[in-house]
Amino acid sequence: MLIAILFAITGYKNQKRPEYKPLFFSMANEWQEIAQDKVIFEYTIKSSDSAYADPNIHNVRLLSNNKGQPRLFFSEIETTVCADGECKLANINVYWNLLGNYVGYGIFPKLPLTKYDHVSFEKEDYAKLHQLFLDDNSILKRRKISDLVDTVSISSSNTSLIHVDAISGATRTEIKESVVKGGLYSCYTLWHIVHGEAKDKMKEHVQSMHSDSLTAYFLYAPYEDYQKYGLKQLPKKDFKHHTAQIVNIFKTNDALTRGYILKKIPDADLSIEKIATQLYNTFPGVDSNARTLLLKKLENANSIAVEIVSQYLDYLTKNQLILYLTYLKENPGKHTKKVKRNLIRTSKNKRYAYSHLVKEYLKNRK
Amino acid sequence: MLHLLVVKGVAQDVFIEAENFVDKGGWVVDPQFVEQMGSPYIMAHGMGIPVADAKTKVTFTEKGEYHVWARTKNWVPGNWEAPGQFKIAINGTYLKTVLGTAPDWDWEYAGKVKLKSNTVEIQLSDLTGFNGRCDAIYFNKSKKMPAEAEANLASWRKIVLAETLAPEKQKNYDLVITGGGLAGCAAAISAAEQGLNVALIHDRPVLGGNASEEVRVHTLGIYGKYERILKMIDTKHYPNGSSDAKYDQERRDRNVKSFKNIDLFLNWRGYDAVAENNSIQYVDARHTSTGARIRFKAPRFVDATGDGWIGFWAGAEFSYGRESYKTYGESWDKWGELWSPEEADDFVMGSSVLWENEETNEAQEFSELPWAKDVAKEHKATAGEWYWEFSRNDLHQIHDAEEIRDHMLRAIYGSFANAKKLEKNKNYKLQWVSYLVGKRESRRLIGDYIYTFNDVRNNTKFEDAVVEEIREVDVHYQRDLKDKEEPDFLSEALFYKTKKYYIPYRSLYSKNIENLFMAGRNFSCSHIGLGGPRVMLTTGQMGAAVGLAAVICEKYNINPREVYTNHLQEYLDLIEKQQ
Repeated sequence: MLIAILFAITGYKNQKRPEYKPLFFSMANEWQEIAQDKVIFEYTIKSSDSAYADPNIHNVRLLSNNKGQPRLFFSEIETTVCADGECKLANINVYWNLLGNYVGYGIFPKLPLTKYDHVSFEKEDYAKLHQLFLDDNSILKRRKISDLVDTVSISSSNTSLIHVDAISGATRTEIKESVVKGGLYSCYTLWHIVHGEAKDKMKEHVQSMHSDSLTAYFLYAPYEDYQKYGLKQLPKKDFKHHTAQIVNIFKTNDALTRGYILKKIPDADLSIEKIATQLYNTFPGVDSNARTLLLKKLENANSIAVEIVSQYLDYLTKNQLILYLTYLKENPGKHTKKVKRNLIRTSKNKRYAYSHLVKEYLKNRK
Repeated sequence: MLHLLVVKGVAQDVFIEAENFVDKGGWVVDPQFVEQMGSPYIMAHGMGIPVADAKTKVTFTEKGEYHVWARTKNWVPGNWEAPGQFKIAINGTYLKTVLGTAPDWDWEYAGKVKLKSNTVEIQLSDLTGFNGRCDAIYFNKSKKMPAEAEANLASWRKIVLAETLAPEKQKNYDLVITGGGLAGCAAAISAAEQGLNVALIHDRPVLGGNASEEVRVHTLGIYGKYERILKMIDTKHYPNGSSDAKYDQERRDRNVKSFKNIDLFLNWRGYDAVAENNSIQYVDARHTSTGARIRFKAPRFVDATGDGWIGFWAGAEFSYGRESYKTYGESWDKWGELWSPEEADDFVMGSSVLWENEETNEAQEFSELPWAKDVAKEHKATAGEWYWEFSRNDLHQIHDAEEIRDHMLRAIYGSFANAKKLEKNKNYKLQWVSYLVGKRESRRLIGDYIYTFNDVRNNTKFEDAVVEEIREVDVHYQRDLKDKEEPDFLSEALFYKTKKYYIPYRSLYSKNIENLFMAGRNFSCSHIGLGGPRVMLTTGQMGAAVGLAAVICEKYNINPREVYTNHLQEYLDLIEKQQ
C-alpha cells in the first residue's frame, strides 16, 4: 500500500518509483511529465465471487504536468478474478487519456498477473493484454463470461465440408484470438473494469474542464481521438484560425473525421482560395467518401477547387464523375481552359473505366 | 414459342427480351434492378464456370439479312479482359463478336446473319462464368444501333412491345401484399387465417426474402405475440450463408401455399401503384420472365417490398439516410458520428452478399482475377458472413444496388482467389455465391408515428404496442471509416443493449396514403430506430400485426388509422388471441 499512499499525495515531486512506469503506453511520454496528482472520483468494482461480496472502491486520479495542465487519468486496480469458484487477486495500474480511452498499464513486479493454472503471465501475454485493452469494441464486451467458455454448436451438416468465417456474433475462435491463452477470466474481468463506468465519468470530467486552451491542446495533439474531440469542441466560427492544422488532420486522420470536417467547415472558409487549395489538393490521397463530400462542396468552394479536381478525374467513381460533370454543366463559367484540358486528357485515358462518359460530355458540349 | 414482337413503323425489326427465353439453360433471371435499367435481365452466374446455353425460338415475318444487337454491359470496365463475356449463335452458327465488353448498359453489335427460314433459334453462350448479362436482343435491317432507345428506354420498350397502358388482366382482393419476405408472408398468413382473400406478390421463385435460400440470412429476434404464425416461416440459427437454408425454405413455401385464400404470385414484381385522393387504387405487377401483367385491386395494400416501392409510387412520404442526432435526439456519445451524425447524411447501413465454399477431395483451380483485385486487394477469405457488407456515400442502396452487388461479387471472387493461393485451401471450391443483394436499409415510409432510438432507450410503453423485441439495437458502419487498411466491403456492428422495447401500430401505416400499411425495414422509423427492429422475426411481427389490422379494417370498412382511433381495443384483443 506504500505506493498508493505516495500517489495520493498531491504532487509527488519526481519521486517516481520504477513501479509507476507503465509496462505499455500508447501515447508519447505524457506519464513522464506528471507533477501533480489529484483524486477526482471514486468508482466501485463488484467482485465476481461472493467471498468478496463487498464492492471494491477505487480512486481515479487526474495527473497533470508541472503547469497544472491535465494529461492523464490513472487508477490502481485490485480485483478478484474467479474461475470455477477459485479466486485470486489481480493488480494493475491503468492509464487512460483525457477522453477516458485506455492508453496503457503497468503492474507491480512482485504481483504479476496469473493465468488459470496460477502460472504467471509471460512477456507476450502482457503485450496481448495491452492490445485487448486497446480494443474498445472487443468481442468480450457483448458476452457474458459463461458464453465464452461454452461450445458453440454448429449444425452437423456444416462440420465437415463447409467452412465459414464465423457464425453470427462471435465464435470461440474469435475470442481465443483476442485473449491471453489460459487467461480468459483475467482478461474478461480486467477488460470490463478498464472499459467500465469509470470511463464515462472521465469523459464527463473533461467536459466540465472545457476551455479554449484545452480545445487547442486536443486539436494540435498528435493523437487521432484528441484531434476528433478538439474538432468537435471547436466552434465553426473558429475553424478559420486553425486551417493549417485542420487540413493536416484531414490528411492524416481517419475517413470518419474527414467527413466530419467537411460537414462542419463553414462555406465562407471554403470560398477562400488558400483554404480551398489546401483542402482540395489532398484529393488524390483521401478516401472515396471524402472525395464525394469534396465534390458536393464544389458549389460553395472557391473556383480553384473545380480546377484542382479536374487534375484527378481518373480517381472518380462513376457517380462521382457524374456529380462533377453535372456541376460543370450547371456552371458553365467554371469550365476553364485548364478544366477542359484535363477533361480531354481523361477522355483519352484508356485505363480509366469511365472515360467514355467524359468523351460523351465533351461531345454534347460542342 | 415466343410471340413475334414488332417495332412500330419498322415491321421487320424484332425485339426479344432475354428473360423471355424459353430455355434459360444455366442463366438466371435477375429482376432486382428493373427500376434502374428498365427490365429484368439474364445473367451467367457460374462462379467462374461457364453456364449452360440459353435458347429460344422466334418467328420472323421476313427472311433475309439482319444485323443483331445485344443490350448488355461490361460490369467491370477497366484495363483488363471484361469478366462476363458471351456470344450469340443464330440457328447454331456463332456471330463473330464477343459481347459484354462495353461499359454501361448499352447495345453492342453482335454481327450479321442471313435468315433463310422464318423460325429462328437464338442461343446465348456464356464464355467465362463470371456474370455476363444480357437484357435484350434486337434484329434490324438497317444496322442502325437502336440508340434512340437509350434516351427513354421505358417508353421505347412499351412501343416495341406494343404494350397497352394498363394491364388487360385485373384481379380483386381484400388485401394486396407486395413483397414476400418475412413481413409479407406473416401479413398474408395472419390476414388469411381471419378469412381475408389475399394476394401475395413476390419477385422471386421462393418466399422469405433475406431469409430465403437465395440470400440465406437467419432470422433473429423474438416472436412476440405471433409465435404460431412466425414459426411457419422462420429459420433455424444456421450460420449465415449456409445451405441449411433450403430446409426452412421448403417448410416456409409449403406453409404459405397451404392457405387457400392466399393467391401467391411468385416471380411477379410490382412496377406501379397509383393513388387517387391519397388512396391507392391498384398495384400493377409484371411476371419477371414472361412479361405478362396483372392489375391488383383492393381496398387496402401492404408495402412489404423492403425498398418502400408501393409507397414511393403512390406518393407516400418517406425518408432515406441518417438524420442529424438533433432531429430526434438520438445521440450516443459513446459512438458519436458513427452512431448518429451532427449533420444528416446518406451513409446508411450497407447490403450484403453471402457466399459459401466446399472442400473437395482434389485440388480445385481458381485463378487470379485482375478485375477483382482492385476491390479485394490482399484480403483472403473462404466464406462470407453478415459483415461482408457494402455502403459508400456516393451509392444509393436502391438506385445503385447493381453496382453494390457487383462490388460485392468482386470482393468475394477476389478474396477467394487470394485465399486459394495458400496451400491449405487448394481443395476448396466455391459452392455458392448469392447474386441477390441482401439489403439492411433503404426507404423508410413515414407513418403517424416515427419510431426512434429514444423509444428503445425509454422502453416507451405505447398504448398501441403491437410488436415487441429484446434484441439489442445493432447499427453497422464500414470498417474503412476508422481504419484505412481495412477493405471497403467489411463492416462492424455497434450494439446498444436494452430491455424489452415496443413498436406502436401507428408506425405501420402511412401518414398520407390512407389505405397503405407497411411492414418490414420500410416501416416508419429513423435510421437508428431501424437498428433494432430490422431483424426478421421483428419484421415478421410487423407483418402479422398489419395482417390483423387489415381484418379490422375489412370488418368496419375503415382505413388503417381508424383501427387506432376507433377500434384499438378490439384490435389488441385479436392480437392476444394469436398466441
